Amino acid sequence: MRNTLTDEALMLSVRDGDVGQLGVLFERYHGMLFDFFCRMLGNRTAADDLVQDVFFRILKYRKTYRDDSHFTTWMFHIARNARFDHFKKHRAEVLFPEEGFDLPGRGPFPSQQFEKEQETVMLQRAMQKLPDEKRELLILARYKELKYEQIADLLGVDVGTVKVRVHRAVKELREIFLKLSGEKASCNVKKSETSLRII
Amino acid sequence: MQCEEVRNQFTDYLSESLAEPVRSEIQQHLIACESCRNEAQDLKDIWARLDSIPAETPDTAGMRARFNVMLDAYRQGMDHAPVSTWWGSVNSWIAGFWPKQPALQFALTATLVLIAVVAGRHYPTVVPPPAPVTQGAGIEVTQLRQEVRDMSQMVALALMQQQSASERLKGVSWSNQIEQPDTEILNALLDALMHDDNTNVRLAAVDALKKFGERQIVRKGVLQALQKKDAPLVQVALIDYVVERQDKESVDTLRQISQDADVNENVRKHAEWGLENLR
Repeated sequence: MRNTLTDEALMLSVRDGDVGQLGVLFERYHGMLFDFFCRMLGNRTAADDLVQDVFFRILKYRKTYRDDSHFTTWMFHIARNARFDHFKKHRAEVLFPEEGFDLPGRGPFPSQQFEKEQETVMLQRAMQKLPDEKRELLILARYKELKYEQIADLLGVDVGTVKVRVHRAVKELREIFLKLSGEKASCNVKKSETSLRII
Repeated sequence: MQCEEVRNQFTDYLSESLAEPVRSEIQQHLIACESCRNEAQDLKDIWARLDSIPAETPDTAGMRARFNVMLDAYRQGMDHAPVSTWWGSVNSWIAGFWPKQPALQFALTATLVLIAVVAGRHYPTVVPPPAPVTQGAGIEVTQLRQEVRDMSQMVALALMQQQSASERLKGVSWSNQIEQPDTEILNALLDALMHDDNTNVRLAAVDALKKFGERQIVRKGVLQALQKKDAPLVQVALIDYVVERQDKESVDTLRQISQDADVNENVRKHAEWGLENLR
C-alpha cells in the first residue's frame, strides 16, 4: 500500500525512533539524489556511494531535524556536505572524463538526429566546464525543481541573490556552449579541408 | 519598466513563475526593446535545451539492498546500545583521538611500534638480555617486518569489508602490496571475485589474483568463478587470466562456455580464442 504521509511527517517519525520509515523516504528520493550526484560528478559509482552516505547521515543526525524544516531542503543540505567531504577525500581524482560524453558508435541515423545528439553532448560538456557552485545551482533550479526560496535557504542567502546567480549561471553556460560549438564547427571545417586536400 | 528591472526578472521569466501584472509588463517591454528581447530569447533557448540532457537511472535494486543492510545494522546498534557508564565515556574520549580511516590507523600503529622499539633500545631494562647485539637487532627487524605485513593484511581485509565500492576497490589494490599473503587474504579476494556486486571490484580482484596464480586455492577459485555466469567483462578478464597462466584445467570449462547459447556472444568468441591458445 502506498504511504501517503508527507516527507516531513515521515522524517519526524524517523527522528523520534521509528527508523523503518526512512525506507519510504529512500524510495521517494534515492533516484533524485543519484541523478543530482551524477550530474555534479559524472561518476555513477561515486554517486551510488554518496546516496548511501546521505541516508546514513540522515540516520546519524536524525535528532537534529527540526519540526519546521522542509525535508528536501534539509536532505540537500546533507547531500551538499557529503559531496564536499567526498571532494576533500578524492581531490586527486578526475571524475568527469576529459573528452567524455561522446556518443557510443551505432548504425546510421538521420543527420538531424545526429546533430541533436551532438548538441546534447556539447551542452553536457558546457555544464562540466561551469564552476562547481554554478553547476550545482543550475542542477538544483532546473532539474531538481527546488523553489528559489528553498535554494536560498540551502545556500544561506536571500532569494534575490539566488535569482541573480541563476541568471549569471545561465548566461555563462550559454557562452561556454557557444564557444564549444564554435570550436567544434571550426574543427569540422578543418577536417573537411584536410580531406579535400587528400582527395 | 526599465531594462535593468526587466533583466532582474529574467530568472522567473525562464521558469515561467511570473505573476500578473509583472508578466504582461515584461512582455510589453520585450516587444519594444530589441536588446532585452534578444537576451531573453537566448537565455530561454539554452534553458529549454537543458531538457535534452537525460536523467541518470540508478540501479534501484542494488541500492535498496545496500540501504537495507545499513538500516538493519543501525537498528541492531540501537537495540544493543550500551547504557552510558564512566567506562564508556573514557572509551569514547579515547576513540575521539583515534583516526577513522584504516590507512591512518595503520600509520599511527606503525609509528607507535617504531617509537616503542626506539624507546626500548635507548632505555634498556635493569637485566639486559645476554644475546649478541647483531643477532638481537636482526630478530627485531624480522619481528617488525612480520608486524608490518600483518597490519597490511589487516588493512586490506578491513577495506574489503566496507559498504562502499570504492573503499573495497582500495582494499583489493592494497592486497597487491602484500608479497606473501596468507590464506585469509586470498579467500577475501576470491570472495570478492565471486560475490561482490560491483563489477569494478570483481575485475580488480581478477588482476590482484594474477600474482598468486600458482597457489592451488587460487586456481580452484578462478575456475569456479569462470563456471559462474558473470558479467561479460569479468568473464573476458577470467579467460585472459587462464590463457596467460596456461591453465590446462580450464579447457573443459572454456569449451562449455564457447558452446553455451545463453552466454554473451563476445564471451563465447573469446572462449574459443582461449581454447585455441591453450592447446
